[in-house]
Amino acid sequence: MSYEIPMGPYHPALEEPYKLDMICVGETVQDAKLHIGFNFRGIEHLAETRNYIQVIALMERVCGICSFIHTLTLCQAMEELAGVTPPPRAQYIRVVMGELERLHSHVLWAGIASKLMGFKTMFMTCFELREKVMDVLQAISGNRVNYSMNRIGGVNRDVENPLALVEMVNELERAMVRTVVPIFTTSSTARSRCAGIGVLTHDKAISCGVVGPLARASGVIQDLRKAAPYAAYSEMEFDVPVEQAGDVRARLFVRALEIMESCRILRQALTGMPHGEINIGEAKLNFRTGTATSRVEAPRGEVMYSVSWKEGSRNPSRVHVRTPTFVNMPSVRWMVQGARLADTPLIQASVDPCYSCTDR
Amino acid sequence: MTVLENVTKNPAASELWNPERWTFEGGVWWLKRGEHDEAESVRDVANAMNALGARFITITAYQLPGAEGFRLEYHWDLEGRLLGFGFNIAGSANENAKIESIFDLIEAADWIEREVHEGFGIDFTGREYEPLLLREGDTPGVNLRDAAPAKPAAGAAVQEAKQ
Repeated sequence: MSYEIPMGPYHPALEEPYKLDMICVGETVQDAKLHIGFNFRGIEHLAETRNYIQVIALMERVCGICSFIHTLTLCQAMEELAGVTPPPRAQYIRVVMGELERLHSHVLWAGIASKLMGFKTMFMTCFELREKVMDVLQAISGNRVNYSMNRIGGVNRDVENPLALVEMVNELERAMVRTVVPIFTTSSTARSRCAGIGVLTHDKAISCGVVGPLARASGVIQDLRKAAPYAAYSEMEFDVPVEQAGDVRARLFVRALEIMESCRILRQALTGMPHGEINIGEAKLNFRTGTATSRVEAPRGEVMYSVSWKEGSRNPSRVHVRTPTFVNMPSVRWMVQGARLADTPLIQASVDPCYSCTDR
Repeated sequence: MTVLENVTKNPAASELWNPERWTFEGGVWWLKRGEHDEAESVRDVANAMNALGARFITITAYQLPGAEGFRLEYHWDLEGRLLGFGFNIAGSANENAKIESIFDLIEAADWIEREVHEGFGIDFTGREYEPLLLREGDTPGVNLRDAAPAKPAAGAAVQEAKQ
């Protein structure tokens, strides 16, 4: 006999509201239905009531983790409409901020995953590491969540001494190599809780159109930083980690390896940062009539903004946001089928879902 | 070989993918407007994209001025290149707009069709809906459409009471 277990909207594992109704037979999940919308704020509608400065501050609040990425994607689309190009130094600073945000997102996720595995000491280690990244973000931007770094035509704040940050990157990388990566890859606790759990097959990953580390952990080679480079990514050398197993452990591996690649990118961006202006100054911006679309590889995968403008208007006529969790989360239904009920919080968390983004 | 050359050499879509019909605008490769709007249905485009192995990204909906209806822009990724296809559909404040669903062809279109339906009150025909962002009793089309559609969803009395 099957029975339904509702999980959420107050979730046992994550601090964001959504609901998963699971049909179980005994302890085994047969099917699941996902409900979102508990955090719906109508941000796309609000964007139509904001001018080109206010809309940046608004879209920064779509997400509390990748707030920089959202403003970057928005600003890139609006720069296309205004016909302006940020100076080279600004493009490098955008890479630095984007990778620091990826680091803090991935390390945060690693901490939460550790907690769900019952690995509390690892949770503390990850959060200690994340704090170091947050300190750097704060040192650069003056903020820890909403950085206010992006503007149309560049960035608001300079990285005054880029080389001084290289040691932080090296220290973080050493800590990752010394503790986090070996524990995630060799520890029996991590293996027993993650291997073979929540499998998303390669074919299903393709048909669901999943993005980011979730796709790459199912063998889908996909990363906009390589395929459609933006900012200064075309000048960076890095690899895109891909795993084939499609289980929680593969997602863990991909993110751990991406942390190492982010350190590699950061070192290049910090040591090779060109001198010069960080934005185009206070010149008046004239937006053409039309729509511009921009995509960026956020920590969770592809973010896409379409911005529509009418020449002479104060406000955008439409801002559409497609976030990574919006496409990743439906695949949870396939991941939990056949799983043990006790594994489902970890399986859901392995997607690294963000409902602030998804609901908007 | 470029992506577009690849596209034109694919027999499954050779008719649709003539490079002269493409234009790059606003960060997107578009099939030139006016050529495909009447010539192909969204399902033809979806089938062609599936044949090419393109990844479906999203649908962006726009309400056009006055009674001109709506524009739906479908986006796919092909080897890092962003492809776009626009479809204009009739509809007004008093009439629900309709377009064929591609959910049965592209699983990834499920949530975005539901979101557009709820945001603009546009019906994707040939599929059933379950609430996505809206809660029970809310009316599709109230979020992003200028005027609410004439036909409220079941249980809309709750929403009316709120107003």
